This record gives sequence, C-alpha cells and structure tokens, in this order.
Amino acid sequence: MEVMDIMSTISFNGQFYALLGAAMAALAGIGSAIGIGIAGEAAAGVVSEDPNKFGQVLVLQALPGTQGIYGLLIAFIILLKVGLLGGDGMVELTVSQGAYIFASSLPVGLVGIFSAIAQGKAAAAGIMLVGKKPSELAKGMIFAAMVETYAVLALLISFLMINSITF
Amino acid sequence: MAIVEMRKLAVVGLNSGKQKILSELMYLGAAQIDSQDKKLLSDDWAALVKQDEGNSGPIESEIAEASSAIGALDKYFSGKKPLIVCRKPVGENEFNDRAFAEKENKELANKVNSLYKKILSLKAEENTVLTNIAGLKPWVSYSYPLDMRKTRLSAIQTGTFPVSVSLSDVEEKLSKVKNGGCIYQVSKDENLIYAVFVCLREDEEELAAILRQEGFNPVAFEGLSGTAQSCLEESEKRLETVKKDIASSEDEMRKLSDRTEELKFYYDGLVIERDKQKILSNLLKTKSAFYFDGWITKSSEEEVKAVLDKYGCYYEISEPEKGEEFPILLKENALTEPFEAITDLYSTPSVNDIDPTPFLAPFYFIFFGLMLSDAAYGAILTIGSFIILKMFNIEGLMKKIMKLFMYCGISTMFWGIMFGGVFGDMFGISALWFNPVEDPMTLLVFSLIFGGIHLFVGMGIKAYILIKSGHMVDAVCDIFLWYILLIGLVLFGVGNMITPVLSEIGKYMSIIGAVGILFTGGRSKKGIGKITGGLGSLYGITSYLSDVLSYSRLLALGLATGVVSQVINTLGKMLGGGIVAIVAMVIVFIIGHVFNLAINTLGSFVHSSRLQYVEFFGKFFEGGGTAFNPFKRRTKYVEIVKEEK
Repeated sequence: MEVMDIMSTISFNGQFYALLGAAMAALAGIGSAIGIGIAGEAAAGVVSEDPNKFGQVLVLQALPGTQGIYGLLIAFIILLKVGLLGGDGMVELTVSQGAYIFASSLPVGLVGIFSAIAQGKAAAAGIMLVGKKPSELAKGMIFAAMVETYAVLALLISFLMINSITF
Repeated sequence: MAIVEMRKLAVVGLNSGKQKILSELMYLGAAQIDSQDKKLLSDDWAALVKQDEGNSGPIESEIAEASSAIGALDKYFSGKKPLIVCRKPVGENEFNDRAFAEKENKELANKVNSLYKKILSLKAEENTVLTNIAGLKPWVSYSYPLDMRKTRLSAIQTGTFPVSVSLSDVEEKLSKVKNGGCIYQVSKDENLIYAVFVCLREDEEELAAILRQEGFNPVAFEGLSGTAQSCLEESEKRLETVKKDIASSEDEMRKLSDRTEELKFYYDGLVIERDKQKILSNLLKTKSAFYFDGWITKSSEEEVKAVLDKYGCYYEISEPEKGEEFPILLKENALTEPFEAITDLYSTPSVNDIDPTPFLAPFYFIFFGLMLSDAAYGAILTIGSFIILKMFNIEGLMKKIMKLFMYCGISTMFWGIMFGGVFGDMFGISALWFNPVEDPMTLLVFSLIFGGIHLFVGMGIKAYILIKSGHMVDAVCDIFLWYILLIGLVLFGVGNMITPVLSEIGKYMSIIGAVGILFTGGRSKKGIGKITGGLGSLYGITSYLSDVLSYSRLLALGLATGVVSQVINTLGKMLGGGIVAIVAMVIVFIIGHVFNLAINTLGSFVHSSRLQYVEFFGKFFEGGGTAFNPFKRRTKYVEIVKEEK
C-alpha cells in the first residue's frame, strides 16, 4: 500500500511534473554528448594524419554541443519559474500547471537529442572534408549548422510555451 | 565594393629579355600568366611554337634541404615561440641581401642537416647500447667469458627459463638422458631465471631439445667477448661518450638555432627562384621569341605596360569579350573589407554575379550582434581582436576574420546595451530598449522583420542582375510579382492592427501577385507545363515561409547567450559570502563566461554566415568563379615590404 501511496502523491503533484519537465529538457545533453563523441572520433582520425588541423576540427567538433546548452537553458528557466533557483523556495503548482511545464519541455528535450546526434554525424563528415580540403572549413560548418536549425526552432517553441504559462 | 575590371594581356617578346621581364612582372605581382595547354592542342599553334620549360628540379632539392634544416633547428629553439606564427615584414633591400647570400646560406643548411643526422644516429646508438646494458646486467655474476661456448669436452649454453620452472626438476629430467647436464642459476628477476647449462659436447643436441621443451631460451651474446662484467663496463663507458656527444651536438644545434632566420630567408629566396622556373611552363617559345597571355587588373595596366615597353615587347591589352570567363578579384572599401571573408569562405563570385560583400556586410554586422547581444562580450571581442591585430602581423583571410570580429564586437556592444546584457544580468543593468528574456515575442517579430528585409534585398539584387542582363520580363515575373504577393500577404495579415484599409489593400495585392505568378510561372515550359509550372511556382511560397522562419534563430541564439550568462551568474552568487566563496565565485564567473563567450561567438559566426549563405545567397548568388591568381613572390616566412627607390 505504501508504494501506491507514494505513486498517487506524486502523480497528483504539479511540482513533480514541473521538475520532470526540467529533467526532460536537460536530457538534450544526451544528444550533444553522443554527437560530440561521433565528431570527436572523426576529429582524432584527421589529427592523427595532420596534428596542425587540431584547431579547425575542434571548431567542428564543438558544433553539436549547442543542443545541450539549449536544454540547460530551458531547464534553468523552468527552475527559475517554479522558484527553485533564486526564489523563496518552490511554489505550489496544480497538476495541470506542472503538466503544462512538462509539455513545454518536450520539444527541446526530444529534438535536442536526435538533432545533436544527426549534427554530430554531419560534423564528422565535415571533419573528414577538412582532412582532405582544409580550405573548405566554412562549408563543413554550414552543413552541420543546417541541422541545428531544427534544434533552434524547438528551443524557440519550448521557450515561448514556458514563457506564456502563468500561475 | 565590386568585382575588379580585368584586362586580357597577350605578350610576345625576345628570349634574351625573358628572365628579366618575368622577374619584373613577378616584382609587380600584377599579372596572371595562364597555362597554354589549350593552344598547344590546336595544330596551328603547335606547328609554330612549343612549350617552354624551366629547370626547377635542383632548386626543389635545395628547398627540401632548407626546409628540413629549418625543421631541425625549430626543435632546438629555446626562445619564446610566438602564439601566432606570422610572416615577418622585411624591406626589399634587406630581403635581397639576406635571401640571396647563397653560399653562406647553403653552408648553414648543410651544417645543420649533417649535425642533425649525426644526432639522430647517436641517439640510435644510445638505444642499442642501453638495450645491451639491460641485457648484460643479469649476467654480471657469471665469471666466464661470454663467448666461451665450449671447452675441449663440454658445451656451454647461456639462456633463460621462465620463473615457474624448477631447475632441479629440469636437471633430473636431463640426468635420464645420456650423460645428463648441469644447470647453474646466475640470477633471477620477477619474470626470468638466467642460467648456464653445461654438458658433454656429444650430448648437446639431444639435451638442448629437452631444454627447449622446458622453456629454455638461449641467449647468444653475439659480438661480445670477455666476461659480462667487463662487457658491461665497456658499454657503460660507451654510453657515457655517446651521451656526451649528443649533448655537445645538441648544444651546437641550440647555438645554431639563433640563425634559423637566415635559413628562412634562404628558403623564401629559393621559392621565388623556383616559381620563376616553374612559370616558364606557362610560356610558349620559338627559337628566339616567347609568348604568354593572361590577365591584369585595369588599374595596373600602366605599370605592366611600362615593363613591357622597357624590353621592347609586342603586346595587346584588351577588354574581355562578352560572356568570357575572367579571373575574379574583389575590391572593398575599408568598412566592407572584413566581410569579404564571408564571401571568400563561400565561393568566388562568377563573372555574372555582382560582388555580394557590400550587401551582406550590414546584415552580417547586425545579425552577429543580435545573436551575441552582450555589451561586455562585445567589448572583449573588439578589444581582443584589436590587440591581436596590433601585436601580430596577421595576413590574408585570418586578418579579415579578426577585423570582422572587431567590427562585430561593436554591434554586439550596441545590442547588449539595447537588451541590458553586460555579462548577462551580473550587474542588473536595465535594458535600454527591452529585455528579450522577458519579452521574447517582440524580438521574434523584429527578427522576422530583419529576415524579411534581408530576403527582399537579396531578391532586389537578383532583379538588378536580371535587368542588367536584359531579362526584364523575368525580373517582373520572378521578383516583382513576388514582392507584390509577399507584401500583400503581410499587409493582409497585420494591416488590421493599423487600419482595416491596409488589410483590404493587402488582400488585393496578394491576389494580383498570386494570379500573376500562377500565369507566368510556367512561361518557359510547353503545353500542360504552362499550368503546372505556374502552380509549382506559387507553391514556392512555402520556401519563403521557411526562409523567414529561419531568422527566428536571431532570437534563439540571443536568448542562449543571455540565459547561459544568467545561469553562470546565479551559480556564482549561490556560493554565499566569505572570502573563500568570493574567490570561488570569481573563478566560476571567469570560467563560465569564457566558455559562454567562446561557444556563442562560434555560434553567432556560424549562424550569421548561414543566414547569408542559405537564405540570402540562395536568392541571387551563383558563385563558382576562379580567383585572380597573379604571378608574384609567394614567400612563406617573410613578407617583403616594397621600398620606394
């Protein structure tokens, strides 16, 4: 019975959903970690051939990192909004308020994960490009940045949603 | 400001003056000398002339020598290496004196190379000796000569057993075969037992086979004589002398490394000589005359003429024919010059393009600032790039990019002040205009408006190109009808906020535009294509929608900078009071803001570029031209500064 009690307290607790939202947003970091990892493997390969390209490939490797930052950004705004950061403790939330916050974290969390992985692959290909043609760095960057557009859009939607929730 | 006007140059001259003419043209650096492969394919030309060729082989090998000497000295250079490697500016006369002091330079290069070779072989020897010493150490207590492999009756073998082997067991096994043998342990470490095996000579073969089964691994000591002790002493003595030799040679290298600069001059001088030989393959020759053609800029016409007249050449300078591909050189004014980097990074414009740099410059400037939007970051960018530009002699693309950051830092400061960002919210300075974190919708609207203007300018340039090349109808159908439709749609959507009349006007504009596009979109197609073509064109409206929405990144990246700064500041302030907390707070601020500045500057750079490349260039820019590549002195280490004679 005790487990059931806890379950029911949680599922009727708005604050829990709000925190779940912050956690969901921060999950975008998974994508960034995988993306940067993929790009890093390619980068190490290129640097093994020519150590002088370190700076160039590092720039490309860093590109899939932004999704994690976008996730952090939304998570931070949620924490600010519910008063966990820089406030006088957490405010009371109804279940629906909490659920709204959770819903608004979904775009940045989910799109962040998948777009960062895809961007990591594009960045890895860009790194290969730099390995063969160092002068084409900008194009490699643009290819990776094309993917990022969708993370940017998701960030925007999450942000606008959270911003318009009032309580 | 624009694509520089080019003039075609064709020259015939006498072979006697050839080298001098080429040297002077190289000094001017104003003429591009094209490859003549195509002409040689035509029979008319091939009957008259043949390809000239230079002899660059010997110079190439000297360059390789110089380059390896520079590389070797670089390893022993003990002074401070500069953070950014740049070419050193040097006057014309000094360069000529030092680069072409051939005998001394060559001697120096040879000396360095042979010294370096000596060091390498000494190091290899050091390694061998060290391995020998390591191999001898376990045998020190073995007092017979190592090369004594047999006596009158007995055979002696030295070798190792794994530690797991018990020597007495092995001896017992041996004793069962023929006369048996003895094993003496010399020493033992954690892996191996070092042992000597003695038996009668006639039994050796058979017993050795048994030993091998037990894990015996013979050690031969080839080339060594005398006892292990004496060999070890000898090797150690040798090691000492080798080490001393290495040290003295390295000292000498270190002393020589002060003279690296001489070698760099030598290298650059050689490269110039080699290029002079190499360019000859772009020349055509007969017995007594030569021919080449290529391109010069209109502004350098007089200088080139003066050189050619001096040596009595026959030449023609003409304008490029209509539609002829000519090499592209861009010329900007001081304000737009850094933005040329953005064009360079994309592609050289084609001859049909107009130089996009002056058009993208203001937008790049604004967009970059909007995305970074922090006054403190802007100041750091501007001051930092200014200092780097002052301290280092950066050239080419890097210089343009540094200047770009310097300019864009100013825009960043402006937007930072407008939005109240100075290291985020660290000082709680209020926004001059509004704070995008609190009022994101306003900035979103402005972002999209900026985007709309950007796209309209791009379309306008396309219309200009079309009209200039005589395609008036295309300009009207593909650009102006879209202007009417798009402006109409916007008015229809938001005109109500001002007055309903505007909305009404918008409605009719949209209809006119849409119908126009529907009827003209398929004009170049045949039959049913005329109808579907129009529909296809009209469907293109979705691409305008996605183009405009793409500018929402202006808001998103601006927010990213602002909010991450806020995170850093909140984290820092959470640490509380007290000296330790304040120190920790400062550390958090520094690391956090450096990280934020780096990642967001990269983001702003990439995304401002993307808005130019994908959305803006997509509207009008072709690209794919060949860059003007004049025949000039391409030095690697020194920048030759021309002096007034």
